[in-house]
Amino acid sequence: MPVSFKDSLKEQTRNIRDYGMYIAFILIAIFFTATTKGLFVSSRNIGNLVNATSYIAVLAIGMTLVIVIRHIDLSVGFLAGTLGAVAAMSLKYWHLPVGVTIPLVLALGVAAGLATGFLVAQMRIPAFVATLAGWLLYKGVLQLVTRSTGSISISNDTFNALGSGNIPDIPNIGFLSGVHKITLLLGIIAIAFFIRGEISKRRKTQSYGFEVTPTNIFILKLVLLSAVIAGITWILAGYQGLSWAAVILVVIVLFYAYVTTRTTVGRHIFAVGGNPEAAQLNGISIKKITYLVFGSMGLLTGLSGILYASWLRSATTIAGTGMELDAIAAAFVGGAAVSGGVGKVTGSIMGALVMASLTNGMNLMGADISVQYIVRALVLAAAVIFDVATRRKK
Amino acid sequence: MTEATPVVEMRNIKKSFAAVQALRGVDLTLSHNEVLGLMGDNAAGKSTLMKVLSGAYIPEEGEILIEGKKVHMSNPLDARRLGIEMVYQDLALANNLDVTANVFLGRETVSAKIGPFGIMDSEHMEQEADRLLDRLKIKIPSVRLLVERLSGGQRQAVAIARAMAFNSKVIIMDEPTAALSVAAISEVLDMIRELKAQGASIIIISHRLEDIYAVSDRLIVMRQGRKVRDCAITGNLDDFRSGVVAYMIGARDDFAEVTANG
Repeated sequence: MPVSFKDSLKEQTRNIRDYGMYIAFILIAIFFTATTKGLFVSSRNIGNLVNATSYIAVLAIGMTLVIVIRHIDLSVGFLAGTLGAVAAMSLKYWHLPVGVTIPLVLALGVAAGLATGFLVAQMRIPAFVATLAGWLLYKGVLQLVTRSTGSISISNDTFNALGSGNIPDIPNIGFLSGVHKITLLLGIIAIAFFIRGEISKRRKTQSYGFEVTPTNIFILKLVLLSAVIAGITWILAGYQGLSWAAVILVVIVLFYAYVTTRTTVGRHIFAVGGNPEAAQLNGISIKKITYLVFGSMGLLTGLSGILYASWLRSATTIAGTGMELDAIAAAFVGGAAVSGGVGKVTGSIMGALVMASLTNGMNLMGADISVQYIVRALVLAAAVIFDVATRRKK
Repeated sequence: MTEATPVVEMRNIKKSFAAVQALRGVDLTLSHNEVLGLMGDNAAGKSTLMKVLSGAYIPEEGEILIEGKKVHMSNPLDARRLGIEMVYQDLALANNLDVTANVFLGRETVSAKIGPFGIMDSEHMEQEADRLLDRLKIKIPSVRLLVERLSGGQRQAVAIARAMAFNSKVIIMDEPTAALSVAAISEVLDMIRELKAQGASIIIISHRLEDIYAVSDRLIVMRQGRKVRDCAITGNLDDFRSGVVAYMIGARDDFAEVTANG
């Protein structure tokens, strides 16, 4: 089918938003690398940055889907904190093994998410109000359970490895010493899978007679993205290798990206977000989708709570404070639209990474905390203004 | 089933809302490959009648036969399973999704199922959407375009393609030409002609007499919950118009006598 130049340009304006974020991220990285004399891109810092991003990024994925179906969830910060405290108590006081603690926390997360879903889908309470109640509730519960003990330290090594440990390496065999070989290997495998996937997708599209991007642009995209993966892999391999948190994050991203773009459930989530009446008329249950999206938000909140507690190696009385707002900001910076129906899992991860990089970079520079808030405010506003402007220009 | 068996036969349909009798015993038949226009003033009951046929309302009395078989429908999905498709006035499209996604909304082709996840067969759906739009002879540059980027006529085509996609027996169109530009109206009328040429059976609700005249074989006029006129469309537009308007506003009301006299 022939696509006119104008139409292919229209297609591209949709992608500008995505490219824009990658470019912004690269510019931010270059800026901080220059101002911190390379400290920002050091293996150690990037490793820390990834770990510090993971628990927000996990929330941001769930939040993006909540925003896509035109809702919001303010309760996830303190819920994550509360679930982290449950994990700590389970390990320390109830003496449950990690293999029981983690499923328990995730199940509680899903239950909490479904409870929100019940209020929103069944009782038709606006999500803002329902989850504001949740915010208060979980803040209270968190204080209640940690009041007698204060912070609960976690001494279980397996559990702590999730948020702050690294994947094992093959012992030194004489070459590439000081470099994490398993990480490099995983990076190479990732690049191979990426290139193979892109090429087969392109072939398939061509075989069905649909238009594809020109060969030179396609190759440029492959080379650039492969270089980015290779670069990140090399940096991470230079210190202690890939962290478990990063591995968990990648698995979650791949899973959610696949479900949202390739399955009927994902299609229905976006249909409900785009036009609820149309979705209903075409046999899609808004209620079911609402339960599903809040249930998934609860699951990811449980995971976020686990990652955060294991990163700190303890549960604190204020754990999770403001995390819901960081997740919401990440989702919007990542391209989710306030009006619903628009958002990407990969976008929300980039959003979380951009926001965390700003904090991290400014910390390294020694910037005042007040300045940090102002800069992050400007970036959030700029991202949304860019969104609205590109959307209006049809 | 012979060719003479009507696709749709509605007999003595009655429906009321609280104290208001919206339908007071209406009969309607639609033959194979027929385009039937349905007219009437506001609150005449035409939309209510079509909502009964598309499963959105359950009538208190009367029966519905599809290809000679009596059917019971309790929701729009039942009607869909029987091959009755509705094109809504607001088209019920999701602007944030592409053409293909809208054509297959709620009925995506699945190539595999892993647990609760149906893996969509996107290429198959794209080809199929492309083929359906070709049949409507409408130009949409790519089935991968978002619906929000389409013109009024193109959007109507997407909604009609959705109605055609699953071997429908009857396509009901609610005001297909309302709120469209002149150019888009003629596009939509061409699409309806094309559908008829391909053998579809269609019911069109419209306020626009010219459009009904241009594409329909037969016309039913409703007034205050009753059928007041049921006739083939013949003659020139002006005679047709003055006749229909008289029935619509109630200046003529002789359905019983006309029917009795053959």
